[in-house]
Amino acid sequence: MQRYILSSLAQSALVLLGVFVLVFFMVRLTGDPTTVMLAREASPEQRAAFREQMGFDRPLPVQFVDFVAKALVGNFGNSLHYRTPALPLVLERLPASLELAFVGLLMSIVIAVPLGLWGGARPGSWIDLLGRGVGLFGQTVPTFWLALVMIIVFAVRLGWFPVAGRSGWSSVIMPAFALGLPTMGRIVRLTRASVMEIMGEDYVRTARSKGLSARTIFYRHVLRNAAVGLISVIGIQFGYMLGGSVIIESVFAWPGLGRLAIDSISIRDFPLVQAIALFTSVVVIGLNVLTDMAYAFVDPRIRYG
Amino acid sequence: MPMKQRFGIALSVLLVLTTLMAACAPAAPAAAPNTGSTTDTQTTPAAEGPQGILTIGLTTDIAAVEGPYAPERQADNASRPMYDSLVHPEADGTYSPALAESWAVSEDGTTYTFTLRQDVTFHNGETFNADAVVYSWETYRQPEVTYASTWTIADKVEKIDDYTVAIATTEPNALLLAYIAGWAMIPPVAHAEMGKEAFAQSPIGTGPFMFKEWIKGDHLTVVANPNYWNKGYPKLAQIDFRFLTESATRVAAVQTGEIDIAPRLTAEEAATLEGVEGVNVINYPVDRLYYVAFNNMTSGIDTPIMDPKVRQALAYAIDTQTIIDSIFGGKATRGVGFVGVGNLGFDNAEPVPYDVERAKALLTEAGYPDGFSIGVACPGAGYPQINEVCQAIQGYLQEAGITVELELQEANAFWEREAKQELPPLFVDSWSLTIGEAYPRLLGAVGKDGAYANWSDEKIYALLDQIVTTIDIDARAKLYGELQVYMRENPPFVYLYFPQAFEGVATRVQNYQPRGAEQYYLWDVSVTDAQ
Repeated sequence: MQRYILSSLAQSALVLLGVFVLVFFMVRLTGDPTTVMLAREASPEQRAAFREQMGFDRPLPVQFVDFVAKALVGNFGNSLHYRTPALPLVLERLPASLELAFVGLLMSIVIAVPLGLWGGARPGSWIDLLGRGVGLFGQTVPTFWLALVMIIVFAVRLGWFPVAGRSGWSSVIMPAFALGLPTMGRIVRLTRASVMEIMGEDYVRTARSKGLSARTIFYRHVLRNAAVGLISVIGIQFGYMLGGSVIIESVFAWPGLGRLAIDSISIRDFPLVQAIALFTSVVVIGLNVLTDMAYAFVDPRIRYG
Repeated sequence: MPMKQRFGIALSVLLVLTTLMAACAPAAPAAAPNTGSTTDTQTTPAAEGPQGILTIGLTTDIAAVEGPYAPERQADNASRPMYDSLVHPEADGTYSPALAESWAVSEDGTTYTFTLRQDVTFHNGETFNADAVVYSWETYRQPEVTYASTWTIADKVEKIDDYTVAIATTEPNALLLAYIAGWAMIPPVAHAEMGKEAFAQSPIGTGPFMFKEWIKGDHLTVVANPNYWNKGYPKLAQIDFRFLTESATRVAAVQTGEIDIAPRLTAEEAATLEGVEGVNVINYPVDRLYYVAFNNMTSGIDTPIMDPKVRQALAYAIDTQTIIDSIFGGKATRGVGFVGVGNLGFDNAEPVPYDVERAKALLTEAGYPDGFSIGVACPGAGYPQINEVCQAIQGYLQEAGITVELELQEANAFWEREAKQELPPLFVDSWSLTIGEAYPRLLGAVGKDGAYANWSDEKIYALLDQIVTTIDIDARAKLYGELQVYMRENPPFVYLYFPQAFEGVATRVQNYQPRGAEQYYLWDVSVTDAQ
C-alpha cells in the first residue's frame, strides 16, 4: 500500500507541474492585458508606459522564471485588477465554492445512492424506474436551463428560496441541486449497474445458498463491493463540482471560485488566473490522492497487494 | 473496524463539514421588498435624514471601488457615490459647483483657478483642501491607473493657498472641465498612512455615501455620510450593489424584490416585466454609437474602400432601420455621425436611406460593377446582439454584390488587434461617451495617434485640433457641425445606431434618472416606503 500511495503522490506532482507550465504560457499567448485594463481613451504612450511598468514587455521565458521564483515562496503576485495579492483572493472565495460543492455532493449521494442500490437489487420495480429516470434526467438536462427554471418556479412563483446570492441555508439549496444533478445521474446509474453485476456474482449465489438472509447478503457483500467503485466516482465528482461550477455560480450569483475564474480570464488578470488554476489543480489532485487512499483503505486487494 | 462503521463515520464527518460551511456563509445585505417596510441602518427614525435601502443588481462583479481604477461602467457606478469632484456635470451638459465654489479661466484659456469650499471633510474627518486636490492628481495620473487619461489632461495642478488651486494645460483645452468632473478627491494623510493597497479595499472620499463593506463577488454596501457638505442629501440611508451577471437572474430578482434596479436588460427581457406588480420598465437612449469602421492605414490600403464612393455605397447598402426593428424591437436610434443627439453641435441630419440600387450605382461609378470581396471583423459577443448585427450586415452587403468574409473574433483579442491596426479593412465596433461632447470618441477612433484609430485624415485631425482648443462653446459647436458634414462626404465609418438601455425599476424607487452613458447619480434618489 505504501508503494501505491507514493506512486500516486509522485504522479500528482508531475501533473501539477504540467498544469503550471501550461496555464502560464497559454494565458499569455492570448496577448497582454493592457487593452482590457486601461481606458479606451488611453493614449499609445500611456499603454506603453503601463506595459513596461507591469513587465508585459519582457520575453515570456523571463516572465516565467520570475514567476516561478516568487511562486516557490508562496508569492503569486498581485491581481492586476484587485491590486491585492492573488492567493488570498482565491482563498477568500474558497469557502463559498466548498459549501456549494459539499451540499451538492451530499444531495447527490443522499438521493442517488439509495435509488441506485434499490434499483440494482430490484430491477423493474417502480423505484428502479424512478432511479433510471433520475439518471437520465441528471445526465441530459442542461444545467443552465434547469437553474433558470428553478429560479422562476421556486423563487419567483413560489417564493420558497431567494433568487441569488449567498445568505444562509435557503440560498444554497437551488444552486447545490443544480450543480449536483449531473453527479446524481452518474451515481445512480453507476450504483445500479454495480449492484446488478455483483448480485450475479458466484460468491453472492454461494452466500444465498448458505442460507444467509437477503439483508445480510446485501449489506455484507453487495454494498461493500459496490462501494469500491462508488468512492472513486464520488471523489472525482467532487473535484469536478469544485472546479466546474462557473455556470451555476453565474446564474445564482454565488461568490465562488468559478465566477472569479471566468472574470479573471476575461480581463486577462494573469496572476489571478494562475493562482486559481494552480490552487484548483492542487485541490483536485489532492482529492484524487485522497480518493486513491480511500480506495486502498476499502479494497483489501490493494491494501495487501 | 467494520465497513458499516467506517461509512457511518465518513458520512457524519461530511454532514458536520457541510453544516459548518453553510453556517459560515456571510449574511447578504437585507433585501428591500417591493412593498412594505425597509430596514433603516442609519441614525434617524424620524421623517428627516437619510432613509431606506436601495439595492442595485450590477451586471458584473467589480474589481475596484476606487473610482480612477474602475475598469468599466458598473464599477464606476458603484464607486461614484463615495466621491466628489470640484465640479458636478449636469444632465444638460453644463457644470455646477461641487467641491469648488467657483472658478475663473485665464485669458489664454490654459489655467483654471478654483476656489474650494471650506466646509468639507472626508469620511474619516480629514479636512478637504488644496493639498487634497494636488495629492489626488499626483496619485491618479500615474501610468498604472486605469483612468489616468482623465487626470493627465492637466499638465500642472498647483496649490495657491489652502483653498485655492490652479489647474493648467499647456494648450487651451475645451474639455478640461468635463474631465475634472470625473476626478475623485482622496484624503492625503489617510491614503499615505494606509498605503495604496489598503486604501483600494476601504476607500475614503467626500461623497454622499461612505464605504461600509465589500464582499468580493457578492456585494458592496455604502451608507449615508452624516456630515455631507450638501445639506439635505443624500436621501437614502444605504445602497447595496449586488453582482448579478446573468440578466435572467436580474429579471427574477427585481420581481421578488431582492433588487430594486435591474439594469442592462434586452428589449425582450424588459417586455416580460411589463405589467408585473411593483416593477416599472424604463428605457433611455444610450450615448454609445455603433459603427462600421474602415481602415486606410494598414489592411485597407489598395482595397476598394479607399474610394469615398465605395464607402458611401456601403452606407446605402446596409438597411440599418430593419436591423434596429428586427434585432432591437425598434428600440434604437439611427446614427448620422459620431456626434449624437444631445452632444454639442449635433446637426440632426437625415440618416442615409437604404437603397441597394443607389449602392450598386455608386460601386459602378467607382469601377466595381461586379462588386468585390472584403474582410469584416466583429467583436463576437462583446456587445449585446452584435453577432446578429454583423451577420445582418454581411447579408445586406452580399445583396449589393460585396462578398464579405466575416470574422467573429473574441472581443478582447479583437480590441487588441484594433489598437494595433491588425484588423481587416472593415470592422464593427462602438464607442460610448460620458461627457456631452463627441471629442473623446472622435479622438480615440479617428484622431491623430488615437488609441483605436484605423483611419487617417489630415482634415479631420485639423478640425479636432481646432475643436479642443476652442473654449467658446458656440464656436466649438460650429466646428462640430463642419466636421459632421465632412465625415459624411468622405466617411471613415458607416454610422449604424445608438441603442436604448432597458432597466427594471421597483415602483418604490423615486427620482432615479440614469444618464446617457448609463451613469447613476444616486445622491437624490429615495424610496417611498422608508420609515
